[in-house]
Amino acid sequence: MILPMIRKGLPQMKTHLNAIGLKKTYHKGRSLEVPVLHGVDFSIERGEMVAIVGASGSGKSTLLHLLGLLDGPDAGEIHLNGQRIDNLPDRRRDHLRNEAFGFVFQSYHLMPELTALENVLMPHLIRLSPWKWFSEKRKLKREGMMWLERVGLEKRARHKPSELSGGEMQRTAIARALSGNPQLILADEPTGNLDAETGQSVMKLLRDLNLEQSMTMIVVTHDLNVARQADRVVRLNQGLVETYNPVLAA
Amino acid sequence: MYKYLLCWRYLKTRYIALASVISVMLGVATMIVVNSVMAGFAHTMRDRLHGILADIVVESYDLDGFWNWKEVQDMIQQECGDLVEATAPTMETFGLLKIYLPDGQAITRQVMVIGIRPEDRAKTGDFVEFVQDDKGQKVEPSFKVPDAWKNNSPAGHLLAETPKDDPLHDILRQQATEQVPDHGAIVGYALATIHRPGATSDDFIAPPGSKVALVYPQAGRKPQAAYDDYTVVGYFKSGMSEYDSMHVYVPLERLQFMRMLGDGKGAGAVNQIQVQVKPGVDINEVANRLQRVLDGRRPLYFRVATWEQKQGPLLEAVKIEQFILNVLLFLIIAVAGFGILAIFSMIVVEKTRDIGVLKSLGASTGGVRGIFLSYGLALSIVGCGAGMIEGLLIVHYLNDIEKLINSLTGTRVFNPDIYYFSEIPTLVEPMTVFGIVVGAILIAVTASIWPAHRASKLHPVQALRFE
Repeated sequence: MILPMIRKGLPQMKTHLNAIGLKKTYHKGRSLEVPVLHGVDFSIERGEMVAIVGASGSGKSTLLHLLGLLDGPDAGEIHLNGQRIDNLPDRRRDHLRNEAFGFVFQSYHLMPELTALENVLMPHLIRLSPWKWFSEKRKLKREGMMWLERVGLEKRARHKPSELSGGEMQRTAIARALSGNPQLILADEPTGNLDAETGQSVMKLLRDLNLEQSMTMIVVTHDLNVARQADRVVRLNQGLVETYNPVLAA
Repeated sequence: MYKYLLCWRYLKTRYIALASVISVMLGVATMIVVNSVMAGFAHTMRDRLHGILADIVVESYDLDGFWNWKEVQDMIQQECGDLVEATAPTMETFGLLKIYLPDGQAITRQVMVIGIRPEDRAKTGDFVEFVQDDKGQKVEPSFKVPDAWKNNSPAGHLLAETPKDDPLHDILRQQATEQVPDHGAIVGYALATIHRPGATSDDFIAPPGSKVALVYPQAGRKPQAAYDDYTVVGYFKSGMSEYDSMHVYVPLERLQFMRMLGDGKGAGAVNQIQVQVKPGVDINEVANRLQRVLDGRRPLYFRVATWEQKQGPLLEAVKIEQFILNVLLFLIIAVAGFGILAIFSMIVVEKTRDIGVLKSLGASTGGVRGIFLSYGLALSIVGCGAGMIEGLLIVHYLNDIEKLINSLTGTRVFNPDIYYFSEIPTLVEPMTVFGIVVGAILIAVTASIWPAHRASKLHPVQALRFE
């Protein structure tokens, strides 16, 4: 718990991603409206790890999806490196998702037809044309193997997701999120489907990467033990944000 | 790149989709087989039709023909001499053929009597290819009656034993001519034979050397029937039952003489001039030119028609039959297309979460659409490719397959006696195969457009939350 405090104090930190007054309402059917976010303000510094916690239905995942441009807000603005990104055309949003963000999901969401290595290389496969892919294939495969090695799965590169355990799948998903060299990692309940021990190792991996790579990370979780490992914890309550100090909370 | 990788992996792992292309494969194979057999039939039929007629036929509207045919021949030579290979005057008329059977009975049949000069007619069309003897061997077209036949007749035997100065000699000679007439006739094979079901060979009711009688109209204001005897010297077997059961060829001069349209020595009327053009010449253009020139010969009306125009209705019927068959068979592929649509829709539902993941990783709407369109294209190429190979193999081994089915079922699928072909004729037309394959690919790809569009429009968050 010392490191986060030290990192918090680093003078070079600047706002990496911030959201102002985000509102989101889901429409079910013609008449039913479910308001989820009521004007959320959120910001994260470069290299910071923030945990978003809250009860089920509090809007944690919705906020993460809005920040990662998977969905659009009804109102409010999102800025990345000071540039507004929520109003970009679809094509630019696709590019940003591919180049700036890396997603880690609770259910891993690996492509079952592809090997672990191919899953890890998916951001590059999406980014590159066939011609460019074939010209850079060797280099990219080496990079992919490096990421798999980093998450301890270099021997499982040719295995399909069905041949991996839950923890291995999640580590593969983390390697996939990192392989595209993103600016931010957005993790939605990364330990939600894992047992306590495996969850802890996955969280440790994320934290280590955050520290080693100075990677900005937003982790949505309902597990306070996971949240405590973040630099800062943001609590969502009834569609509004509360922030508190994790050290004090511990 | 991911589009092609995923498309390839789906192709290798989604066997249910491969099953859907079996219908495309069968449709393509069926279309290739049917079109090849139809084209084979049509081609053989056209060959035979063309063989019966020369490239162009100049004919008079009047059955009694025209006397100045040499002048018309000269006009043809003058107008298109450099394009024309040969011409042959002929006389066609309707008539009756009477075949005398050994037991005293006689069979009468309606025929088309065609007067020709064998040496001229042999140069126009494939007539020479269709003349054969009773053993099925091709023979030189000729109306010459061998002396041996006459000598072997009952009267001939007596004549041989009778001295020339005997008063009976002339009577016996006349009788021998009555029994074996001097003029030969080449009779349609189906007229001269009877085919009994199940029999391996045909029975000749007019064997070589037998006497047949022809009745046809004479020229004149009050037409009367002319009667003449002929000796069967050969058979005309084109493979087209319509002609083999109708045509009787006789010497032109004899027919002219008997119809009171000639002196029997070369001068006389004909009602057709068969024109054979040189290879590579546009017969329609030559026909048009001849028609223009001969139009100036009015009030003697001439009709100039190419062999295709003469056989127009039959060729058109085959074309229409082929067209309708193609439409019906394409519906099979269309049904297969709906199968692909259903299976693709199912796959899109199954892959909803994967689509969400791809979108979260930055895949564009067009990219996701591209995965399923390439998948549809790949499946259709696999289906059409397999169908094409299967179809071509079936066409190649069609007659072996027919024999196998015959031996397994004990019934004849293709009876050569009915179709006049010793085996099923086939002709693979590359452009037709190309058209079938491209059409089937288009249908299959079209069927994948809607599911692909639906996949591309999935909202990433909803797709990720899909259970």
